[in-house]
Amino acid sequence: MSVDTRVNLGGIALRNPVLTASGTFGYGTEFAPFLDLTRIGGFVAKSLTLEPRQGNPPARIAEAPAGMLNAISLENVGVDAFVREKLPALPEGVTVIASVFETEISRYAEVAKRLTGAPHVAGLEVNASCPHVKSGGIEFGQRPALLRDLVAAVRRASELPLLVKLSPNVTDIAEMARVCEGEGADGISLINSVQALEVDPETRRPVLSNVLGGLSGPAIRPIALRMVWQASRAVSIPICGMGGIASAEDAVKFLLCGATAVQVGTLNYLEPGIAGEVADGLVAYAERHGLGRLADLIGALETGRGAPASPVRRG
Amino acid sequence: MTPSQRVIAPMRGEARVVSLLDEGGPNRRLVLAVPGWPGFHPGQFVMLSPGARRSVPQRDPLLPRPMAVFRTHPAGEGTRVEILFKVHGRGTALLADTVPGDRIGVVGPLGTPFPVPPPGARALLVAGGTGIASVYQLASELVSRGTRVDVLLGARSAVDLMGEADFAALDLELTVATEDGTRGRRGVVTDLLDEALAQGGAPVVYACGPTPMMRAAAELAVRHGRPCWVSLENPMACGFGVCLGCAAPLRAGGFALVCRDGPVLPAEAVAWDGLP
Repeated sequence: MSVDTRVNLGGIALRNPVLTASGTFGYGTEFAPFLDLTRIGGFVAKSLTLEPRQGNPPARIAEAPAGMLNAISLENVGVDAFVREKLPALPEGVTVIASVFETEISRYAEVAKRLTGAPHVAGLEVNASCPHVKSGGIEFGQRPALLRDLVAAVRRASELPLLVKLSPNVTDIAEMARVCEGEGADGISLINSVQALEVDPETRRPVLSNVLGGLSGPAIRPIALRMVWQASRAVSIPICGMGGIASAEDAVKFLLCGATAVQVGTLNYLEPGIAGEVADGLVAYAERHGLGRLADLIGALETGRGAPASPVRRG
Repeated sequence: MTPSQRVIAPMRGEARVVSLLDEGGPNRRLVLAVPGWPGFHPGQFVMLSPGARRSVPQRDPLLPRPMAVFRTHPAGEGTRVEILFKVHGRGTALLADTVPGDRIGVVGPLGTPFPVPPPGARALLVAGGTGIASVYQLASELVSRGTRVDVLLGARSAVDLMGEADFAALDLELTVATEDGTRGRRGVVTDLLDEALAQGGAPVVYACGPTPMMRAAAELAVRHGRPCWVSLENPMACGFGVCLGCAAPLRAGGFALVCRDGPVLPAEAVAWDGLP
């Protein structure tokens, strides 16, 4: 039986629903020894700013139970070098979603503008949720009024399909999702890392130089599933779900909770190439369960005691 | 990297534990069979995931551990890759609990290797702690090339010293120091370095070990006007330049990624005060 793996993520046609998450996949070429990038739906590149940006001093990472903390602070080559040098280095047929980050709304819009029309770039993901930069980022994802202005401005700057990556560090994710939908976003990515702190009891200091960092990895997966489920019930635009995905079965959980596509993140560090195995594993899962389309899993979580609900079709 | 060193594309695969030897104190010698091993250069490392390839993958601790490749031996069903390590945390404890037949995730070889010294130059290798594991292959290859090699190894105590017998089996000058005097000279290994540099001979210095040791070695090399290469050991999540977790500050400003630009860096480039 052949399985139809295609999904449509807010106007981005994907050959399969497996993407890789921004900040965990560099600019794609770093994975050339490990993975044929056309095996996956695509990848979300490292967040880009208008100018090249340097990261925090060490220590930038720390281990946590079944996860890790990072406070890199969005080090990147800048949008122009990305378009000039990184994109042309990619093989044909690779789908890229470019991640946009800045500290002011007008600068977010300018980065979006410069990415529009660049080769490989099939869509934008606005990073409104970095948990460890001093200004911008998470503020936009935590205040509905700011988020509204941000999404509206980027929407005006580019006709590319527009995803907004939301922070889990909010009280009401449904409200944030509705703000994005109301301003014309084509989809929502969640969750970014969970704001966290780790301490060294011997030195009595924070482990990270930035004090606060973002927790990622399997440790946050149930939180991510919960928020994807809540967001998917609040809006009708598609959701791209992520948080500690380590297997095809993990990806299935996100689809069931309402995600149209998923992103593999932290696991890329320890198992470079695992995204390809997740994509293959989804096909094996579908065959095992007699499904003709992966899209039939989207939102098919059965929460009632009675007869199974019919799956929501968003793919 | 020296121009004559070919670039080796890293592999991702599954290693099988062939043997795990307790070498006293915290020291362990792990021998892995690695099918498809592409080879390596001195100073390169692998990322080992002891939990990832269990029948039920263990995700805690999550991150792989960077380990210098001590040496390799050809074998039929997978090159033998030898790793020397110390048990000092959760990841190394998991590695130390493996038994022959266990499967371990491996990615590598990674990183920029030690450059070889110019023809005719002498090499002075100084290493302490687990840094000893990073310089064995360099010593071995330089001896094979006919380079005169002096090796200085240091440890807190005799029981902490790793790899001494392996170095002693090579055709080189080996001197050992321990802080408590239980093996070799009493003192720190950089005392030996100071004396060796004072004897002249214009060696190229290679250093790997705890940061304070490498910093002291770098300062001694500068004082004696000798070039010095250090191999840094920052924590890292990926090992191939994407997590950006291992950044080491540079004196010229900005950062080097220890995994990609290093681990071997020219000592004078490192901003030692900025290392954690």
